[in-house]
Amino acid sequence: MADIVFAILAIFALVGAFGMISFHSPIHSALSFIVTILALAGIFALLSAPFLFAVQIIVYAGAIMVLMLFIIMFLNVRESNFPKEPNKFISMFFGSILLLPVNIFIVRAFLKMPEKSMEIVEDGFGNIGSLSMELFTRWLLPFEAISILLLVALVGAVVLARKEES
Amino acid sequence: MSSVLLVVVSVNVILALLFSIGAAPIMVWLERRVAGFIQDRLGPNRCNIKGIRLGGLIQSFADMLKLVFKEDFRSSTIRERFLFSLSPVIVFVCAFLAFMVVPFADNLVLFDEVYVMQAVPVELGVLWFLAFAGLGVYGIMIGGWASNNKYSLLGSIRSSAQMISYEAAMALSLVSVLVTYGSLNLVDAVNFQAQLIFGFIPAWGVLIQPVATIIFIITAFAEANRTPFDIAEGESEIVGGFHTEYSAMRFGLFFVGEYVAMSTSSAFIVTLFFGGYHLPWLDTQVLKGNMPTVLAVAMVVIPLISFIFMRWVYKNNIWLDKNDARNKESIWLLKILLFKNVVILSLLGYALFVGIGENVTNILTCILQVVTFAIKLLLVNFFFIWVRWTLPRFRYDQLQTLGWKVLMPLAIANIFITATFIVVMGV
Repeated sequence: MADIVFAILAIFALVGAFGMISFHSPIHSALSFIVTILALAGIFALLSAPFLFAVQIIVYAGAIMVLMLFIIMFLNVRESNFPKEPNKFISMFFGSILLLPVNIFIVRAFLKMPEKSMEIVEDGFGNIGSLSMELFTRWLLPFEAISILLLVALVGAVVLARKEES
Repeated sequence: MSSVLLVVVSVNVILALLFSIGAAPIMVWLERRVAGFIQDRLGPNRCNIKGIRLGGLIQSFADMLKLVFKEDFRSSTIRERFLFSLSPVIVFVCAFLAFMVVPFADNLVLFDEVYVMQAVPVELGVLWFLAFAGLGVYGIMIGGWASNNKYSLLGSIRSSAQMISYEAAMALSLVSVLVTYGSLNLVDAVNFQAQLIFGFIPAWGVLIQPVATIIFIITAFAEANRTPFDIAEGESEIVGGFHTEYSAMRFGLFFVGEYVAMSTSSAFIVTLFFGGYHLPWLDTQVLKGNMPTVLAVAMVVIPLISFIFMRWVYKNNIWLDKNDARNKESIWLLKILLFKNVVILSLLGYALFVGIGENVTNILTCILQVVTFAIKLLLVNFFFIWVRWTLPRFRYDQLQTLGWKVLMPLAIANIFITATFIVVMGV
């Protein structure tokens, strides 16, 4: 059962990702990226990580992609503004052939992975309680460092966006 | 006992359907009638089936039939046909899914097994609501954009700007609530509110977290796209906003989706801040312990309410012409109410006479809590409607200012104070 659900979600994720790079209009790309995000959220839920499932939907699908779509709609790009992409699919084909060695490595790494049982783990795994205990005890320093990084980015954006007083 | 589980789950799903989609025609009727009374007119009250009008409730069903049978017109300028058809579905499904985690009653114990009274029993609770209520905005954005019409596009841009304005304040206001209740699970949140402060005040969220309550209610209005934040629709400024190009059942899905979203917001306001399914001062244990007394009180109260209601009907629904079709309505209502009362009273009397076992006590408690929840939901929905016909619309930059400069600092200050208080008091 879980395998079938995983297969469906994985197909959605791949189709969404392919659509994201191959669509011509930016809105279509953004929308198919949302499909990928939702499918990934479903895979998180399948991996007994309900908190990550919710956060993936709230943060990526609910906030970041809305902002992206807002900006794309706000700019009101027209059909004539799109870059011309001659031979798009041919270049994509050759690009994927170039990436083939890397992919073979990834497949080999996947095959080398040890066998693990795919059973549902015990209660509390991946819940907000156990996750935050890990985050605020063992991984406290990296967590705070990432917070500071985000804060720096935020301040930088405000400084860049501020109008100069003339 | 898998058959019991099946029954409980189906009851929960049916309850969720009733409270969200089933409530929509009643909400439409209530909205139009309340709007009428606020604007000193009557509202729709003429639509009838052989004289039975139910105060105009039949109008909702007539409207529904109209929407189903109307021509489904789609302009030839619309090129994104798939997205155009998809967007009402997204709005509807997201609002409906978000409703699914609301608990309708305390955990039901049958044959020594515990059943959760939620349609989708997940631990996530509030996070589930934030996730799916937030996704609903895509329906509006995609619909407005796919309509290929400048007013619709303005509507969808406004809707995304609105989403960016309120979402942060809403999530932050919920953090302090979660810190207070100490759990994401909505059943835990409701059971926390069954306690008493100083021994006599119910510990409802609205009393122990007033700031979070106000912020959440304001942002819930924006979430449900209701006035004063219906800037995406803005029918006096941008025609119909995102649904200008929609007609028939496609529009119907947007329309019902709006009411389902309203019910969802109300359900979460009730669950988080107004004690959920609990009657004040009567938590589940007290109800179970005093079930015979509760039944006796119900046997007095139910006929009394029916009697007052019938007197009101007879006072207001009387026509000079004896053969007027409308006079029959009162007689019909009287018959139905009498029948209902006789059935309920005989059932309750039988239960009292025979004596009630543990399972029956638990089921009766559950029914009482579902009814409590329904009444609270109706009152909060009424509040939504009341506000809609009282306040004018915000401009979208005003909403942004409100969200980022007023509500968000308030919510952060509230988190800080709550967390400090909880650590100091060691609650």
